[in-house]
Amino acid sequence: MIGYIGRRIVAIVPIVFIATLITFALIHISPIDPAEAYLTAAHIYPTDELLQQKRHEFGLDRPLLVQYVHTLGNIATLDFGKSYLTNQPVWNEVVSKLPATAELAFWSMLFSALVSIPLGVLAAVYKNSWIDMLSRIIAYLGASIPQFWLGYLLIFFFAVKLDWLPVEGRGDWRNLVLPTMTLSMVLIAVYTRLLRASMLDQLQETYVQYARMRGLREQVIMLKHVLKMAIMPLISGMGINLGKLLTGTIIVEQVFSWPGFGRYFVEAIFNRDIPVIQCYIFFAACLFILCNLLVDLVQLYMDPRISLKGRAKR
Amino acid sequence: MIVLVTILLVVAGCSSNQDSTTATDNKAVPKSITMSWPRDIGTMNPHTYNPSQLFAQSMMYEPLVSYQSNGKLTPALAKSWDISKDGKVYTFHLRPNVKFSDGTPFNADIVKKNFDAVLKHKDTHSWLGIVGVIDQTEVVDDHTFRLTLTEPYYPVLQDLSVVRPFRFLGAAGFPDNGDTAEGIKEPVGTGPWLLSEYKQDEYAVFKQNPNYWGTLPDVQQVTIKIIPDAETRVAAFEKGDLDLIYGEGVISLDAFNQLRENQEYTTQLSEPVGTRSLLLNSSNPKLADIRVRTALNQGFNKKDMVEGITSGLEEPADSILSKNYPYTNIDLKPVTYNVASSQALLDEAGWKLPAGGTVREKNGEPLEFELIYDKTDPIQKAMAETIQAEWGALGAKVNLSGLELTVQIKRLKANDFDLYFWYNYGAPYDPHSFINVVASPGFGISETLSAVPNKKELDQQIRATLSSTDETKRQELYRSILTTLQEQSAIVPISYIKKTAVYHKNIAQFVFPANRDENPFSGITLNAQ
Repeated sequence: MIGYIGRRIVAIVPIVFIATLITFALIHISPIDPAEAYLTAAHIYPTDELLQQKRHEFGLDRPLLVQYVHTLGNIATLDFGKSYLTNQPVWNEVVSKLPATAELAFWSMLFSALVSIPLGVLAAVYKNSWIDMLSRIIAYLGASIPQFWLGYLLIFFFAVKLDWLPVEGRGDWRNLVLPTMTLSMVLIAVYTRLLRASMLDQLQETYVQYARMRGLREQVIMLKHVLKMAIMPLISGMGINLGKLLTGTIIVEQVFSWPGFGRYFVEAIFNRDIPVIQCYIFFAACLFILCNLLVDLVQLYMDPRISLKGRAKR
Repeated sequence: MIVLVTILLVVAGCSSNQDSTTATDNKAVPKSITMSWPRDIGTMNPHTYNPSQLFAQSMMYEPLVSYQSNGKLTPALAKSWDISKDGKVYTFHLRPNVKFSDGTPFNADIVKKNFDAVLKHKDTHSWLGIVGVIDQTEVVDDHTFRLTLTEPYYPVLQDLSVVRPFRFLGAAGFPDNGDTAEGIKEPVGTGPWLLSEYKQDEYAVFKQNPNYWGTLPDVQQVTIKIIPDAETRVAAFEKGDLDLIYGEGVISLDAFNQLRENQEYTTQLSEPVGTRSLLLNSSNPKLADIRVRTALNQGFNKKDMVEGITSGLEEPADSILSKNYPYTNIDLKPVTYNVASSQALLDEAGWKLPAGGTVREKNGEPLEFELIYDKTDPIQKAMAETIQAEWGALGAKVNLSGLELTVQIKRLKANDFDLYFWYNYGAPYDPHSFINVVASPGFGISETLSAVPNKKELDQQIRATLSSTDETKRQELYRSILTTLQEQSAIVPISYIKKTAVYHKNIAQFVFPANRDENPFSGITLNAQ
């Protein structure tokens, strides 16, 4: 087991290498010069002299290969340098943004799981009933409403008209409600349908008939046996979404003024803040790999039939 | 889910009573207002640019000279000043009994320390004219500071009134090596406000500086909420979380109009703070002919376009600079909308409509241009489309290119454009910064005017204006320069941009600052609570 985890963690190295190479290439292919973007953001006209000075300051006047090797060196030592925009160490800034993003990710995952698991199970058990119809409507709405629009709607009704919740910002649990609901809607839509389909598949399996023949209660069959097997695809989906949520939920953070990782990254892209972009890419790559690993380990625990050897080879 | 959400909201609803009590309690705090801003206030370093926000810097740090309406310069940290006859030596008599927010005295030593810290990075600040002509900074005595220039440069006082970089940080804020470009220890200023609470990307609370030398503002506390999204900003305002929305383009036109129609709020527009112009690049052979430029200038209905697109938030512009800057209150002949005259001018210039064609031609060349606009700016896009349609009807084909701002500027600098939306700098930078870019290559404006017949003479006049020490002569030179530019139609004024303010009735009076970058809080009077 430890060897397997070790191998998966080592796999981060080539993936991060490829990700940074692609990012580096894209940044340098872009027609926008980071020095120019910096000066524009500062409302300073970018004269040739100023551009030259800024490029030198940022180390952008060095040969591309030297710049890339320098980037790799930074990543290896986890020293991403200072943000072009704020002149503050990037790592400190990233670490300061993480709690807000992690908080929102945690509650969104929890809320969507709390809603979609019972709803998915009920929709499968009572197929074509009103609850199945309800789950279908939620799935349609969740999949089709753009997140920013849903966010505005929730703000309009629950914050402005009813005055129950705050419009924006990070504070106590009330600030969490609307962004969590906005983020969860699409997750609930996917998870509910995924679980329903998976449950219906499992219900066709012979072990269910056997359990019924043994005279087990339907509730026990559903919750102890069928759900345990049917939840596997849901866990995979949640793992992927956890990575996405932890790397920043850009639209929701923007709409609800949530001071998280996503907003920070978008601003860095607009300002061509290369140290921040590189740090984000490194961080995102690591997070996705670790989330996938976590999912695999959970699945392994829940279904011992999954071969560790086979997975490691994959 | 419905059950869960309902429970959640009922709980939230129940506790909202407590919340509204808290909110009422907060509102009971005397003389405080809350405003939003799209970005974090930044590091509050008076000598650097990103990511510090100008309005926030202006709350804590003050200039030697203050810019007031119609360009009047009034004493701030300098109570008076003398200018030598040759215009090269400026002696500032500093205001006595001024203290920084930490109680330390403001004197000539700290003025020199700040000037020297700024001048250590001349390249960074070279965009400001004064930086290139400062020769020496001297402490004459405890309350006298002298600035010597290498050559006369009349807008010294205007340049010293801008929000950054020439404002003053207290000694406690300086890093050990004295280089503020690397950061400051703490924000210590002489201004009416001090930063009392701050959470990056969330909010900042400013309280009155008890050591302030002047009359303190009526508002005692200002809270800035960082709200990046314009629609969320409007929702927060409608809910009552914000007392004031202020700035340029901080909310959409639709939202502004909706708030304007609501009797519960007051909306206010400032005097023009800048001009939206269209550059017709005369270095393009087709635009080198003044008849073509004039035809295009008078060939679109500016009034209808500006009023229709901006719903009155902007005002049709008759001249490149509005009359509320120094030296610009002169009567220039406006170019009026006249389609028949436009067509006649194009015919006269040899651009004829071929039989059955819609685009004019001359020597087999079509009258075709590219118009560059900022793709993130809905007003520019709508104006570009209107101009395309109106000039299309004249027989001039316009191709639209929506670009990112940085790419636009790159093309402007490289003189790689036909038609380009351009903005002047506003007060206190203009009119001197405007005429400076007209004469200086590298900013795109000099290039735009390169085929203007009297360009060399124009450049000479500009240099004479900037070094002039005679007020009357300077006014005459400005009149001549602005008249020439108006007649040449290479810079077509479109609209005057204004700042907007929307506020609740707890604000009794709101006065826009004359300096485009200054904070508005000194001009706010609150109703008695």
